[in-house]
Amino acid sequence: METGTAKVIDKKVYTSPAAAVPPKRSSVKRFLKVFLARKVVVFSLFVLLSLVFVAIFAPLVAPYDPYYQDLTKSLQKPSMEHLLGTDMLGRDVLSRIIYGSRVSIAVGIVSVIIAGGIGMILGLIAGYFGGFIDSIIMRFMDAMMAIPMIILALFIGSALGGGLDSVMISLGIALVPSYARLTRGQVLSVKESDYVLAGTISGTSNFKNMFVHVLPNSLSPIIVLVTMNLGIAILAEAALSFLGMGINPPGAAWGAMVNEGYKYLMSQPVLSIAPGIAIIIVVLSFNIVGDALRDALDPRLRGRI
Amino acid sequence: MEHLLEVKNLKTQFGIDGTTVKAVDGVSYYVDEGEVVAFVGESGSGKSVTQYSGLQLIPSPPGKIAGGEIIYEGENLLDFGPRSEKMREIRGGKIGVIFQEPMTSLNPVMTVGNQISEAIMQHLNLKKREAKNRAIELLKTVGIPDAEHRVDYYPHQFSGGMRQRIMIAMTLSCDPKLLIADEATTALDVTTQAQILELMKDVVKRTHTSLVMVTHNLGIVARYADRVYVMYAGEIVESGPTKEIFNNPKHPYTLGLLKAVPRLDSSKDSKLVPIDGMMPDLSNKQDQCAFQPRCNHYTDHCLSSPSPQLKPVDEGQKHLYACYENINKNLFEEKLKKKSSIQEQEEESLYKTELTEEKDTILEVKNLKIYFPVKKGLMKRKIGDVKAVDDVSFKIKKGETLGLVGESGCGKTTVARSILRLYETIDGEISFKGQDIANMSKKDLRFLRKNMSMIFQDPYSSLDPRKTVESIVGEPLKNHKLVKTQKEYQKRISELLSLVGLDPTVKDRVPHEFSGGQRQRIGIARALASDPSIIVCDEAISALDVSIQAQIINLMKELQAKLGLTFLFIAHDLAAVRHISDRIAVMYLGKIVEIGDWRTLYENPQHPYTKALLNAVPIPDPLVEEERDRIIIEGEVPSLLSRPKGCPFSNRCPLASAECLDVEPALKSIETNHEVACIKV
Repeated sequence: METGTAKVIDKKVYTSPAAAVPPKRSSVKRFLKVFLARKVVVFSLFVLLSLVFVAIFAPLVAPYDPYYQDLTKSLQKPSMEHLLGTDMLGRDVLSRIIYGSRVSIAVGIVSVIIAGGIGMILGLIAGYFGGFIDSIIMRFMDAMMAIPMIILALFIGSALGGGLDSVMISLGIALVPSYARLTRGQVLSVKESDYVLAGTISGTSNFKNMFVHVLPNSLSPIIVLVTMNLGIAILAEAALSFLGMGINPPGAAWGAMVNEGYKYLMSQPVLSIAPGIAIIIVVLSFNIVGDALRDALDPRLRGRI
Repeated sequence: MEHLLEVKNLKTQFGIDGTTVKAVDGVSYYVDEGEVVAFVGESGSGKSVTQYSGLQLIPSPPGKIAGGEIIYEGENLLDFGPRSEKMREIRGGKIGVIFQEPMTSLNPVMTVGNQISEAIMQHLNLKKREAKNRAIELLKTVGIPDAEHRVDYYPHQFSGGMRQRIMIAMTLSCDPKLLIADEATTALDVTTQAQILELMKDVVKRTHTSLVMVTHNLGIVARYADRVYVMYAGEIVESGPTKEIFNNPKHPYTLGLLKAVPRLDSSKDSKLVPIDGMMPDLSNKQDQCAFQPRCNHYTDHCLSSPSPQLKPVDEGQKHLYACYENINKNLFEEKLKKKSSIQEQEEESLYKTELTEEKDTILEVKNLKIYFPVKKGLMKRKIGDVKAVDDVSFKIKKGETLGLVGESGCGKTTVARSILRLYETIDGEISFKGQDIANMSKKDLRFLRKNMSMIFQDPYSSLDPRKTVESIVGEPLKNHKLVKTQKEYQKRISELLSLVGLDPTVKDRVPHEFSGGQRQRIGIARALASDPSIIVCDEAISALDVSIQAQIINLMKELQAKLGLTFLFIAHDLAAVRHISDRIAVMYLGKIVEIGDWRTLYENPQHPYTKALLNAVPIPDPLVEEERDRIIIEGEVPSLLSRPKGCPFSNRCPLASAECLDVEPALKSIETNHEVACIKV
């Protein structure tokens, strides 16, 4: 039999390589090329980096002490002395925004990391194993979603007992269900792919299959959700602070500043608009960078760009 | 004579990422009244785009028709805008299109009657009542039983073949002069495909309509078409009457296609000759013969000359080709038929020894039953079973290939998956190298996973898009700890890649950088990595183009000879199965109805289903096709839930009698190596 078939075979046919493959680019170069392809991404990245710089070196950058009150100078209009004016206690708004970036960026990033991390794992387990485990996890998530996010965060936060740390943790936990649901949906479709089955057939364990094949291929929409949730987390921190949890006066945070300022919206709009714009800039930059990151990590674009 | 449709020098381009893809590049053709014209070519050759350009259905942007004329009944259609009243009237009213995917081309929330009436009211100005009557009439024309009732059914209540009939009814609704069938039967099963094609042929004849068939199946062309246009890289490379094209192909591409496609009637040992390489990138097309890089016949003249123009084979003939060389088929026929009587005798004796040779059984399946429970209601009460596989037994010997064929839903994939133990519980016995797979514990599965692997159908979804070739191919190596050092690992991966004809330097690429055929090779390399003794190929070549298909079939045969592999080859393409298999089992509704070695089964089929199945496959040779009798079996594969009593084939079988409804026939041996499950045999 074997000799019989061998006779039939024309060696020439196989020794010729299957066909030319397009030339290769180094993967780091390619990543950077796709990532930085659009000018707006470069700009957003620059904005984010400078914000981080400002947050770290706030005492050096800020023109005034953000906590120094001078009631004689309260509610001043923007001037050369105070670029964004002063608030009702006479504190310099620009300095407070600069110091506030420390709290706001930290709350945004940390709570989203907590939410994404826990949510992704739960969604992955629920989607991959299905059945009973899936029901337990997802019903729990549904129950969490039934409670408004702020109230849930407030509840967890007060159990943990105030402060910046507990704000981050409580917001992180309150955001978990959205990640779990999204991840589960992705996993459900990805786990049916032939390449996951191929993994099983070549002896890959469930655990490895989950993290090597399923999770990486489910990531794209999660990256988008992360960038969207940053803004939500920053604003939610304001609400929590307003309700007396988290940053207590006189501490500076963007959300809290918007809140304090809105009382003076008619007479001194810059008080709440200025920190509001800061929030918008951060969220927008994260969104743009996140989108570019997702594209750059997408192997489907390899060889084409 | 005035042509019904004449296209002159049509050019369609797509602007993608700043480059211009010349999808259709100067195509001229015509269609006469009442004739059947076929467009053949591999995917990406521009055959569909050509048709859609004619109807101005090209998505724009990025597409645009850059030049040419489309003259239909004396008017140039390109003078009218794509959204003009006139074009709307022509689409559907004068020219009807039947699409490939019957599952998505009907609107699921409208009854089929309403969908057909809609077109009729739009084009023929009929009242709703009259339109509905006409719809019923049309449904009868296309062979939908009980049309008066079924006209109010929704699309999901029909099977795929029935939906395609409804599509045809819809396109016929306004008495078009021209029908365009874009791969209209590709998604259907073989027997259904034969029914639909016969129906189209019949309708075209009766209504004196012209039909343009776009297909990649050369067999269908040989059986039905009057004239053929062969397309490659957006150009027509050869055209002429069907018989001329098949008997005396002048373009090397046509010849290549004819030699690459496996035929039901050719000698098994006539090897498939693949066309090396792949279709050129149409975005930077040079003014040069586009086929030259893949051509075996090119000369220096081809390299230095502009793209060849179509010219007649002989003065005044209808057979045109675009090539500088004048190749002779005779030369190839000689090569193919060179087999002398001595060789034939040799073959015969080889075949006989193969038959008698005792080889170890490597896999034995006994009374395999896979039932899926059907649950209903709030309490998920079990109301019945879907008997996907019902009492299947077979053996595979070491080093042989068992082909498992059947139409969709016959349970062939379920058999494959149970052999790979992808189901938790399995009723029946599966013994692999003496070990019981069906009841193997999770721990022992490791042994199975190492010794058994799988090649998948779709090369686009079977490779993890985020992993490099190295980690894809290396996954089994790492899982089974088959290599000790990094150096050994790298060496083994290079070895595997060169074994499947890939350059080992492609290791760090990701799947998206490869073409379909190359991806399939990566999949094969992965399947070979753990050095398995049996490989399950689930439709491993169905998704590939003809020329690539031949490459993969040859590669698999070579690997089998080299490594002594055993294949379980699952497919619905009977010609390809015949080419690669030693023994073949035919499945119908979860049962094996006939099993035998390839020669007996194809030359002397006994079961009526096998006969019908073989008959339904068209052979890419018009002369052979003319002489064949057609057995068109009625009906379609029934749902597994409404399995007929007695013999599963009884409701479609031409031989069936009352007896067949009572007895469920078992496989019985009628000669050496040939078993049939039919009481009439």
